[in-house]
Amino acid sequence: MGNLPPEAVLGTQQSAFELELARLIAAATNLDLAPEQIDPAAPLFGQGLGLDSIDMLEVALAVSQRYGFSLRSDDADNRTVFASLRNLAAHIDKHRTK
Amino acid sequence: MSAIWATEPERGSRAAIHFVTWLALRLGRSATRWLLVPLSFYFFAFAPKARRASRAFLGRALGRRAGGPDILRNFHAFAATLHDRIYLRCGRFEALDIAIDGAAPVDAILARGRGCILLGSHLGSFEASHALARQLTHHPINIVMHEGVTQNTDAALDRLAPELRPHMIAPGRPETMLRIKECLDRGEIVGILGDRPFGSEKSTICPFLGVAARFPQGPFRLALALEVPVVLFFGLYRGANHYQICLEELAGRPTAAGEERADAAARWVERYVERLEHYARAAPYNWFNFYDFWDEGLR
Repeated sequence: MGNLPPEAVLGTQQSAFELELARLIAAATNLDLAPEQIDPAAPLFGQGLGLDSIDMLEVALAVSQRYGFSLRSDDADNRTVFASLRNLAAHIDKHRTK
Repeated sequence: MSAIWATEPERGSRAAIHFVTWLALRLGRSATRWLLVPLSFYFFAFAPKARRASRAFLGRALGRRAGGPDILRNFHAFAATLHDRIYLRCGRFEALDIAIDGAAPVDAILARGRGCILLGSHLGSFEASHALARQLTHHPINIVMHEGVTQNTDAALDRLAPELRPHMIAPGRPETMLRIKECLDRGEIVGILGDRPFGSEKSTICPFLGVAARFPQGPFRLALALEVPVVLFFGLYRGANHYQICLEELAGRPTAAGEERADAAARWVERYVERLEHYARAAPYNWFNFYDFWDEGLR
């Protein structure tokens, strides 16, 4: 990775909160992948991490328990929110109550 | 109604479908019903894949070789349910005689304030659930179904009876299950068809009429995640204008710890398939999966 610009390297590294969320997702969905290996920029749903809509429900239930707010089906930002670990982390950070 | 064969009657132009639907409502059920006979013969002649699928299923369900009359009867039952779908969807129940068996457990579940999953199949008419919805006015029925296959008919019906437009939930999106959860939390009913896996959906292979077939785990993974009851629904067409809705509580409050959910879901699928098999034998001509159900290379 020596020749890549620093931001590209950063792009595939998890922040501390992203890692915490990655662990929550892995536990909620019995993911085969180690949480540390989840690419924060890759899609969570479908291709990418390979989560299906029931996995997303499990994630939503775990998020609501841990961070005290519910992901809603009618949220206009859903397309972005579920697009990656990074986006989901940012969304939770903005709305969490605990 | 996402049968592969179900795409066939949808081939007609949008305008033609609007016209036929309008005519069926305008002239009434008995005046248009005779059309089902030539339609059944037409598909017998020109839908060889559906014919082979029907023959393969009926052979197993009847325990004997299925002949032309059996297949025609199967096609006629399917055509009849497509025709009656128009009346069911538009609230024209007076043309039909619909008996509801096993409503008591559903009433008991709904009285507790939580919704339930109404698990149907392509055995019989899921549209008969409109008759159930009429009785359960405080508990709307939402239907999880792929859009597109019957969209021309649906568009016609939406225009003719917009106030009775069913609550549809599109599957396979990240927020699909959140929507379903929100419906169940409000005490509503969520109808899902449990006999056809889509794409790479997680599934369980188990014997159906003696031969291994693949069934989706989705409805049970959902029920286990939310711990909501699962009620079986079969809207069997019993000839002439008779329908029999059979309801059965399959799972009261399914639970399993996180890592055991996959096994638990597989066991629930097996129980569902046992009941599906029971009803499929009881009403074999109601089987409307006109494709290679057992994936045995039918051409």
